[in-house]
Amino acid sequence: MRSVRQRRTAVGASLLAVLALVAAGCGGSDNDSGSSKGNQDVPGADALDKATGVTKITFWHGMKGANGAAIDKLVKAFNAAHTGKIEVTAVYQGDYDETITKYKTSVQQGSTPSVVQIYDIGSRFMIDSKQTVPVQKFADKDSYSLDAIEPNIANYYSIDGALNSMPFNTSMPLLYINKEAFVKAGLDPNKPPTNLDEIMADAKKLTIKQGGKTVQYGFNAAIYGWFLEQLIAQSGTTYCDNENGRKDLASKVNFADEQGVKVATWYQQMVKQGLMPNTGKKTDDAQAVFKSGTSAMHLESTGSLKGYLDAAKGKFTVLTAPFPHLTASDSGGGPIIGGASLWIDGPGHSDAEKRASWEFVKFASSPEQQAAWHTGTGYFPINSKALDQPDDKAWVAQYPQFTTAITQLHNTKPTNASSGCILGVMPQARKASEDGIEKAVLGTDPAQAMKAAADSIKPQIDQYNKTVKK
Amino acid sequence: MLVPCLVVFALFIVWHGTRSVSLSLHGSDLFGRPDAFVGLQHYRDMLGSGEFRHILWVTFALVLLTVIPGVLGGLVIVLLLEQHIKGIRILRTAFALPFAFSVASASVIFATIYNPAIGLANGLLGRFGVDRIGWLTDPSWALISVAITTVWMSIGYNVLVLSAGIGAIPAELNEAATLDGAGGWRASWFITIPLLGPQMFFLVVISTIQSLQGFGQIKILTPEGGPEQSTKTLVYSIYHTAFANNASDFGAASAQAIVLFVILLLCTAVQFGVLERRVHYK
Amino acid sequence: MRRLTVGRFITYVVLILAAIAVIFPVYYVIAGSVMSPGQISSYPPDLFPHGIFTGNYKGASSSGTPIGRQYLNSILQTSVITLSQLVTSVLAAYAFVFMRMWGRIVLFGLFLATLMVPWESIVLPNYLTITGWSIGGERLTASYAGTMIALVLPFLANAFGVFLLRQSFLQFPTELRDAATIDGCGHGRFLRQILLPLNKPALMAVGLYVFLAAWNQFFWPLLIGDSASRRTLQIGISQLNDAEAADPGLILAGVTLSILPTLAIVILGQRFIVRGLTAGAIR
Repeated sequence: MRSVRQRRTAVGASLLAVLALVAAGCGGSDNDSGSSKGNQDVPGADALDKATGVTKITFWHGMKGANGAAIDKLVKAFNAAHTGKIEVTAVYQGDYDETITKYKTSVQQGSTPSVVQIYDIGSRFMIDSKQTVPVQKFADKDSYSLDAIEPNIANYYSIDGALNSMPFNTSMPLLYINKEAFVKAGLDPNKPPTNLDEIMADAKKLTIKQGGKTVQYGFNAAIYGWFLEQLIAQSGTTYCDNENGRKDLASKVNFADEQGVKVATWYQQMVKQGLMPNTGKKTDDAQAVFKSGTSAMHLESTGSLKGYLDAAKGKFTVLTAPFPHLTASDSGGGPIIGGASLWIDGPGHSDAEKRASWEFVKFASSPEQQAAWHTGTGYFPINSKALDQPDDKAWVAQYPQFTTAITQLHNTKPTNASSGCILGVMPQARKASEDGIEKAVLGTDPAQAMKAAADSIKPQIDQYNKTVKK
Repeated sequence: MLVPCLVVFALFIVWHGTRSVSLSLHGSDLFGRPDAFVGLQHYRDMLGSGEFRHILWVTFALVLLTVIPGVLGGLVIVLLLEQHIKGIRILRTAFALPFAFSVASASVIFATIYNPAIGLANGLLGRFGVDRIGWLTDPSWALISVAITTVWMSIGYNVLVLSAGIGAIPAELNEAATLDGAGGWRASWFITIPLLGPQMFFLVVISTIQSLQGFGQIKILTPEGGPEQSTKTLVYSIYHTAFANNASDFGAASAQAIVLFVILLLCTAVQFGVLERRVHYK
Repeated sequence: MRRLTVGRFITYVVLILAAIAVIFPVYYVIAGSVMSPGQISSYPPDLFPHGIFTGNYKGASSSGTPIGRQYLNSILQTSVITLSQLVTSVLAAYAFVFMRMWGRIVLFGLFLATLMVPWESIVLPNYLTITGWSIGGERLTASYAGTMIALVLPFLANAFGVFLLRQSFLQFPTELRDAATIDGCGHGRFLRQILLPLNKPALMAVGLYVFLAAWNQFFWPLLIGDSASRRTLQIGISQLNDAEAADPGLILAGVTLSILPTLAIVILGQRFIVRGLTAGAIR
């Protein structure tokens, strides 16, 4: 039997050991931000040439379904063209929201990917996080011309004239139409509705009820903040102040103003009158409604086009039309470019890795790859030369639906309104706006709902600006 | 020495417990690391906001909606099974099946059933001529849908535990009751149920704790906390504040975490103080 | 032969209805997994498959979510946690019951107190700490092994097991213990050869509970693990649900694959589980 004193010292010693361990562990966690090696500088081209063996890079993305398959094809093509030198591993991280969350986590854990696909509204955050090497720097160092990028797109992703990330999948919202449903209701599918009021009018004719149950809805759309942003842009007004966050850090959002309230009211009325089912905020659920033929009109990104064509095969014909305006009197700027861009990470990555990432990013934005991407998904090519590719031309001739978005893009005048709001907490703002619309749909007065939503995001904006201004 | 290895981990918890408090007193930077000292600001914001009261209400409601049906349902089933009917083994296996499903798998299956566009739940309603219900999109139903899934998951465990408890009741007691003329239901009410007291108490405590900590099914069924935040429980809110949507407000989330701790403490104290006295131990 | 009384009839009906309600999801996951995409996305939805479509299983196995690998990860994580908690709980319970120590009451109170702290209340500091650790210059969570370690580290011990086992150990008569000591039986031998074999039900109850809790973990594994091959099964399934949202049949096939083992265990080992739950947990 051990003596009590021995036991006491044993307990005491182990307590000390534990304290030491924990202190050591905790001590190191707060200071560094994963910046062990590398930074935001641009290495020269020789960094890759000098690298021995295969430079492995990771690519995080948020593309699933048909689009995920297209990514895999792209990565495969790249790896084949660079065997022995560079190897890209693509990892699906979830949707855009989850991808940026995972990315944030990776910064905290010091294990960032080499290239990451972040959605448009994450741009401000990415810049402020200081984890990436601007694409412009690479281009300048290599004297690589970025002129082939569609000006509207380059505009959106440039801040202070410099391109921070490489646009990759650019989308615009479209109005999708079930051709057979239109014909059956006596409507002309070639003359689609062009604003919210017309949609409501047409939806009334397209909703079919049988014995109290709705068999076909005239219209459906997810409660998606992106649509609200688009409609506001279409009306030529700004989503947030300070010239949509381009002149200075935005300090508040404007969606509680007249335009935002109009959108909320419209959503509310569409559901109330039974013209549209409320499937909530999940875009997948809204997509399922259209794909199953249960709704005749639908709002979604052009990036879903291929998926819809596949799903509707043999069931009905999918047509596309320009995204509606808020009111008939809107001449508006045009819809905002959506989608995502590729960011190259700096801190924590070797020079060879950064160069390899740049090679991948260049590849992904090349005419051939963008043409393949276009026809494989519906996103339109960021590289204007892609449209000249023979494959692309042939595809587009067969499926003119793929051109609607492009036409819409070319018709959009680049203004502050059509460039979208740049806000550090834009993802949260989008969610807040969705909450507002949802509240309205579920019965609250739209003006109140949107006001509450706009107010709820204000503290977060202030907090963000405070943190970043330091 | 035997105890120190456990001391190590207790310190894990104690140290992090105090750190949690400390985090709740600071702001957070873009990546969640503690920033400037803000004192009780987070607590003031939280307690003053209607949203927080709503979160507490949701949490409390979910506990009631899952614990009561879960334990009572399990009890009723077990009592019915005790009536010496044929096929008892098949039925008992049937009721134990949910036990095999993890939180994620059960939630995914239910999500498919609840799907607003193509889900079977609405499909079945349609066959009976009832109009669609927004299982996960209607704030009046979302919490109920989550509760149904949670109860389904726990039925298996509850039935198994109560079955074990009944098995421990000496058969003589029931036989004696029958001889005295109090068979069937009366025997159940006056003998079996009281003697199942300890097991039911155990299940109530465990179910409450699990319900307060429920996360997986909420995240899968109603990402974003449900329509009008109707399924945003305290735990989900902690996750949401700290990790979702580009937010990284570890400070505010930690404040909520401390509140969770207090609530759990109160709940357990109440349960042990009030309910345990009513339980008959052999 | 018992007559079919009204009471008995109602009992049957209620039980069968309840059984159907409970079994329905089990039926559906299997039925849905063999429905073709066209059938499962149709509205109004069908209850019975029109034939066996195997494409979903092929798709689930080859999808971006490596279910097999994640299965192994989950098994590894759960086993380590279960074993570790059993070992630490046994040792601690033993110490509290059979060993005289300075400050025993205080320490036990401390243990009980940790039981009161819900894990979610300390997840954030845990997260900051563990993600901040580095081994040999590389972050802990940057490697597979490191990720596994990070997954299990906060859960290697838990007062729940200590509490239950202590209850169970207290039943052991002190006279026998004293007798054994006089016979020269030290702590280790006593533990291994006498105490543990007698407390099998309690051990099984603790083991089962911990195993389930670890297997079902969702919050922590969601935070740790940045690539599909390092995630646990639970996270993998929820990701499959997101990634293949356009293909519910495929998702259900993936879920079916993931539950087959546990389903088999429950169906075959049901009686065994009941016996394990009988003693120890509820005294």
